[in-house]
Amino acid sequence: MKDRLLLLVYLVLVVTATLVHDARLLLAGALTVTATEFGRRPQSWVRALRAALPFLVAINLGFLIVSKGDLSAAGRVLPLVNARLFFLVVLVFRILPAIDLQRALGFSPTLRFVLILATSQVLAFRRLFGDFEQALAARTTRRPGLRTSLRQGAALGAFFLRRAEHDATEITQALTARGFFLDRD
Amino acid sequence: MHIPDGFLGPQTYGPAYGVAGVLWAVGLRRLRRTLDPAAVPRLAVATAASFALMLVTVPLPGGTTVHVTGIGMIAVLFGVWHGFLALSLVYLLQALMFGDGGVTALPVMALTAGLGGTAAAVAVHRACGRWPRPAVFLAGWCGTVVPAVLVAFVLGAQPLLAHDAEGTPLFFPFGWAVTVPAVVLPHLLVGVADGVLAVLAWRALAPGEDAP
Repeated sequence: MKDRLLLLVYLVLVVTATLVHDARLLLAGALTVTATEFGRRPQSWVRALRAALPFLVAINLGFLIVSKGDLSAAGRVLPLVNARLFFLVVLVFRILPAIDLQRALGFSPTLRFVLILATSQVLAFRRLFGDFEQALAARTTRRPGLRTSLRQGAALGAFFLRRAEHDATEITQALTARGFFLDRD
Repeated sequence: MHIPDGFLGPQTYGPAYGVAGVLWAVGLRRLRRTLDPAAVPRLAVATAASFALMLVTVPLPGGTTVHVTGIGMIAVLFGVWHGFLALSLVYLLQALMFGDGGVTALPVMALTAGLGGTAAAVAVHRACGRWPRPAVFLAGWCGTVVPAVLVAFVLGAQPLLAHDAEGTPLFFPFGWAVTVPAVVLPHLLVGVADGVLAVLAWRALAPGEDAP
């Protein structure tokens, strides 16, 4: 229940942030969230800033270039865009880590089932991906070129697709053996 | 090509949620109607596979690297509806678990990449079925480029769709003159990498066969 409520609060705040067009209000919201969370965990500040920075730099620099340095136009457009983006990034770091997604989306058994399976596979695939990268780094003395990278990427792609097919078959057999599909028609 | 929250106005994500919601319902109903016990696990691992494919990076001339999308490969292997649902789940997981992309952008990404990308890839693959290798390459290329074109169109429409009384943009501030070259041009190259990867992976998956 707590997770579902938190997810709902997060979604409502995100939608609200897109309905508010006052940069000061959004900045005040961001600072409020910041004060409640990042005072306790300052490293979250750095992570939030690092996540927001590429978008903020691209938008601000891009706008200044496109508007040919027109500061009055930038003054009208950029504060709102920046404040909204920063508020939303701060929200991500404040609320999302506290949500257990599988519990929050438990209202649909099928969705929950797919999510649990997908998440477990995603985490396994991420670990395997790291293993592949380390293996390549350990076997090459220089930075791999385009040809090597493409071959490595193709090998990875083929491995993941084959592994996905294999895992799907195994999971289905395991679930069938345990009678999972008997009451799902 | 992950759109964060705050770039799209409610004028965009509201209708997009409406359309995507209907398609998600249709897709899930089709999934249940197949009465195939393997359908749900297949969907889950297709989700994980497309997530894993997005981790694969390829160097571009100039020293930068890009990640491939794998949309073409997923579409050719799993079909349009499975691809649409799997990619929707990928974007949901990325938004809610890892903070990549946003929940307001989720339906737009699902429609552009999940539906537009997979449909284009499958259509091209079927149309060029007589020449398997070029068909797989083109499917991989279209699976990347078509979503890029659609995303550029949606992003570039924001200043027209969401602005104040004076015409000042309230969300993403750049029009099509900026978004189309900025989003589409790099993806023409990413599409080539995706196409080459699709062909190499297809050869590794199905040696000696005409199709995966």
